Amino acid sequence: MSTGAEPDQAQVPTTEPEMITQEERRQRRRDGERRIDRRSLLRPGDGPMVILDKVTKRYNESSVALRDVSASIEAGEFVFLVGPSGSGKSTFIRLLTREVVATSGSVIVGGRDLRKLRRSKVPMLRRGIGCVFQDYKLLPGRTVYENVAYALQVTGDDQRSIRRKVPEILSLVGLADKGERHPNELSGGEQQRVSIARAFVNHPRLLIADEPTGNLDPETSIDIMQLLYRINRTGTTVVMATHDRELVDKMQMRVIALEDGRIVRDQRRSRYARAETPAGGGDE
Amino acid sequence: MRPGFFVMEALRSIRNNVAIAVAAIVTVMIAVFILGTFIPSFLYVQSTVDRQKQRLDVNVYISDGATDQQVAGLQSGIKQLQTEGLVKSFTYISKNEALAILRKRMKDPTVLDLLPKNPLPASFKLTSTDPKRNAEIRERLIDNPAIDKTMGEPGEQGISWAKETTDRLLTIAKFIQYAGIALIGVLMVASVLLIGNTIRLSIFARRREVEVMRLVGATNWFIRWPFVIEGVICGVIGAAIAIALLWGAKVGVVDQFVQDNGGLTKGEAGPIGFVTLAALLIVSGGVVGAVGSGVTLRRFLKI
Repeated sequence: MSTGAEPDQAQVPTTEPEMITQEERRQRRRDGERRIDRRSLLRPGDGPMVILDKVTKRYNESSVALRDVSASIEAGEFVFLVGPSGSGKSTFIRLLTREVVATSGSVIVGGRDLRKLRRSKVPMLRRGIGCVFQDYKLLPGRTVYENVAYALQVTGDDQRSIRRKVPEILSLVGLADKGERHPNELSGGEQQRVSIARAFVNHPRLLIADEPTGNLDPETSIDIMQLLYRINRTGTTVVMATHDRELVDKMQMRVIALEDGRIVRDQRRSRYARAETPAGGGDE
Repeated sequence: MRPGFFVMEALRSIRNNVAIAVAAIVTVMIAVFILGTFIPSFLYVQSTVDRQKQRLDVNVYISDGATDQQVAGLQSGIKQLQTEGLVKSFTYISKNEALAILRKRMKDPTVLDLLPKNPLPASFKLTSTDPKRNAEIRERLIDNPAIDKTMGEPGEQGISWAKETTDRLLTIAKFIQYAGIALIGVLMVASVLLIGNTIRLSIFARRREVEVMRLVGATNWFIRWPFVIEGVICGVIGAAIAIALLWGAKVGVVDQFVQDNGGLTKGEAGPIGFVTLAALLIVSGGVVGAVGSGVTLRRFLKI
């Protein structure tokens, strides 16, 4: 875990993931690492989780989403990606899951150069990355339980381990009693918890959230934020695009600010807007 | 991977999208029903024409004065043609047999008793393998001294085969064959397009679902198998309903008609067995469903 991203306990109004004992956590991590070695393309290790090197993404002649963007995100970091609509946040995120491919420059995730990644390997990459979206992207017509189980079925988990892992992760996100509900019977906050459960059930080393609180009220947003923070505390790298100023200010995490496709600020322990006197860290 | 899982996924998808599944089933049903009526009809017409072609005998008339040796020579000539594949079969009809046949055909056979002697010649009745080559048969045999060159139509003396009728029948047969094949071909293409379109609509309605599956790291085949199985299920169900309807039509209409017309069509009807037809249609229903959904899905699996 990188030192710069480690927040001060006093500053952060979130809870530790105390529901898991140390022993369990160690066990789970061992499980997780074995699984990642077998199934995910992300290489284990403490090197940078994400490296963008002079990345430009052009959708067509007239629209350039990212211009010459370079950034590096260490394993275990929590990074906010902020900026107004159309600043390139979503493109940044979609580059990491290889929904889009950089026009020039290189994108390296978990030690893999995504430009050299064969199309048939893309699903393997995505299994190592958890994704949370503003619109939840749950499968309609499937219960909460089945939605989470799908992420495990995809990776070829057997029925027994699915029956063990899904209730476990549902109770982690506080939906232990909603397993048989359908997404359309849940509130927005609950749906987003399901989506987080699905993203995290494989214990990915990288979790990407694109405006996860965009459709939620402030109080629910804080709950979701805490959940993501707890996930980050287990060693998972979290990259979250948002324009929720309050949340970013409260969390005091690394902030990468995008404007018009360029990185205009990359600061540790930062606020949403440029601080007059940077709190803590300072410019990278 | 795990067939059971994919079948369960396919069934779930059908349950969740009943309207779409019904649309696909009905489309397959209509297409299969139309094909199921056209294919046997066409085959029936064709087999009838074929049978008529078989009846186009070539008659080789033997003169009354021919010696046994000459007749034997003629017979061995015909046998030679048979081994070459020009003649399918032949029978010898003696003068008496010829008269008996004529007697049977006449309304008032007593007229024949007035004849002083039997005017009919003995003959070889040949069935040619290919009526188009009848002229060739004639050429090969006509020089034999046993042949009575006074018998038969002008231009076909000695060896005759109702040339004009044969030619006309052959033209009609050819037309029916080409027209039938073209029609069935067009129908098949139309069916595949129609079914493909319905499937495309159904997958388009679920493209978001496919997108989500991709985002959680499902491989293309992991997503595709349930769709393919769903296509097979819808295709087979649609085809099965169509076959049930066809069976009803066969028992209720066609069999009745065949019975009423007795000897005319009985025994000739149904050149393709119903079971064969049903199996063929069910299999093609399943294949079209599977290929249709598998191929259509490609477009949504690109990202």
